[in-house]
Amino acid sequence: MTADPTHTGALRALLADGRKAWELARFLASDPVRRAPTGRTPHRVIHRQNKAVVRYFAPDPDGVPATPLFISMPLINTWTVFDLLPDRSVVASLVRHGVPVYLLDWGRPGPEDAAVSMSDLVDDLLPRAVDRSLRHAATHHGADALDGLGYCVGGTFLAISLARHPDMLRRMALLASPIDFHASGRLATWARPETFPLDDIVDGFGNFPRQLMAASFAWLRPAGQIARGRSLWTRGSDPAFRRLWAAMEQWNGDNVDFPGEAYREYVRHCYFDNALVPGGPEWIMAGRPVDLGRGRAPAVAFAASDDHICPPPAAFGLARAWGGPVRTEVLRGGHVGVCIGRALPAALARWVDSGRGGEAPQP
Amino acid sequence: MAEPDSSNPGDGVDFARLSQDLYAQWESAVTAWWDTVLDSPDVLRASGDALGRLARARKQYEQAVDDNLTRLHLPTRSDLVRLTRIATLLEHRLVRFEDQLLEMQDKLAALEREALQARVDAAEARLEHREEMAALQARLDALQERIDALEQSATRPARRRRRKADDSDTDTRDGDQR
Repeated sequence: MTADPTHTGALRALLADGRKAWELARFLASDPVRRAPTGRTPHRVIHRQNKAVVRYFAPDPDGVPATPLFISMPLINTWTVFDLLPDRSVVASLVRHGVPVYLLDWGRPGPEDAAVSMSDLVDDLLPRAVDRSLRHAATHHGADALDGLGYCVGGTFLAISLARHPDMLRRMALLASPIDFHASGRLATWARPETFPLDDIVDGFGNFPRQLMAASFAWLRPAGQIARGRSLWTRGSDPAFRRLWAAMEQWNGDNVDFPGEAYREYVRHCYFDNALVPGGPEWIMAGRPVDLGRGRAPAVAFAASDDHICPPPAAFGLARAWGGPVRTEVLRGGHVGVCIGRALPAALARWVDSGRGGEAPQP
Repeated sequence: MAEPDSSNPGDGVDFARLSQDLYAQWESAVTAWWDTVLDSPDVLRASGDALGRLARARKQYEQAVDDNLTRLHLPTRSDLVRLTRIATLLEHRLVRFEDQLLEMQDKLAALEREALQARVDAAEARLEHREEMAALQARLDALQERIDALEQSATRPARRRRRKADDSDTDTRDGDQR
């Protein structure tokens, strides 16, 4: 231990902290969260229905042609989590890999959409979006089938839809999509019929309000809010990190209302009853049972290792429920972090490559 | 005068590491506390009750606002929502029409493909017939040639015989004259 009678080391550290604080204050004063350039990969809208749109991302002409991919995003957030920044974009990595991407953005439901049901979403809107994407892909890429990828609730809905319309897609990949809802940690604890006033909420608010959605996700990990601020303090001197932080904050604060009737059915049958896994109570939707066992397409379930919204056991419920062959894979990251990490683009590239060449599709 | 204290307790301490450790300890303590709170059935029941009351109160408030606006003959929020819903349903109907149009387009394309295929098949059949006819014609021509040849070969000995007969007739007449 060397003596420092003048405390210059501590003073220097204090000064450095001051400089860092000044730099971060200037950064925050520039309104970086609102100005974060998310969703900038070039694309165009090829289909609209109500608030939902299908966004088409043309593949890189230098890439090896691959089966076009239809992506079903979650309803509770905006789609930009898959296109956060140019160097942290799932869709950009896919188009670079030669994959034509059709992304279903469910849009922002308004009060007039409170009566939209699960059947409206999985039997009408989603299959039509796939149909229009396939028509586009057939015309522009000579494709006769699409592969499907679903993230979070978007994946759960994609699986339900594909089980009910088995010819819709050639293969399916789910990313952090809950199937065994009773294994989904704290959310499952909260969403119990005896403590969660589901009917009161839907009857009172119409749609499930985005503010409640944001609050419930924030309260899943109360210390996480402080951790986000702290990460900016500790790593904020790196401009790349600051850009990513601002883009993440923008996305985090941009929740979307969930259509009321669909939310009522979703929570009742998925969280209360756990109806998607074998042994759960029967779920009759529009006169037909919801049975994932009828799904025949090869499927892969990706789970994030540190996911607190859809832990791996909840995502891997697909292996027990799905009728076709299922492969499971754990990727490093959290529920959202997995979308901006390096593991997902690599895993998706491997999955895309395994489907090239017209041989029998593999999960 | 006393010597300055060279072993100051703050010297050599890594403040950055210390703050990290303190933060980690604080985070785990806070997380453990929140875990017990947020997973407690009593807390969940109380917060659920509060949320339910809030939702019911909001419904009553909206109903009251709507009633007042109706009394004033002004459009209410639910009127606007209803109108927008009608517009959405109309749009949905249009989308269904689009579905049917696309289906018809598919069927027409299929019919067109079938008609085209039938025309191609018919043309191919016609070509085959033409080839068959040409082959038959060739066989007929060949037969005709053979018939002609046979006729020729049949007529040649007869002529010869006739010539011979003519020759013998001439001889006999000559003998008679003589």
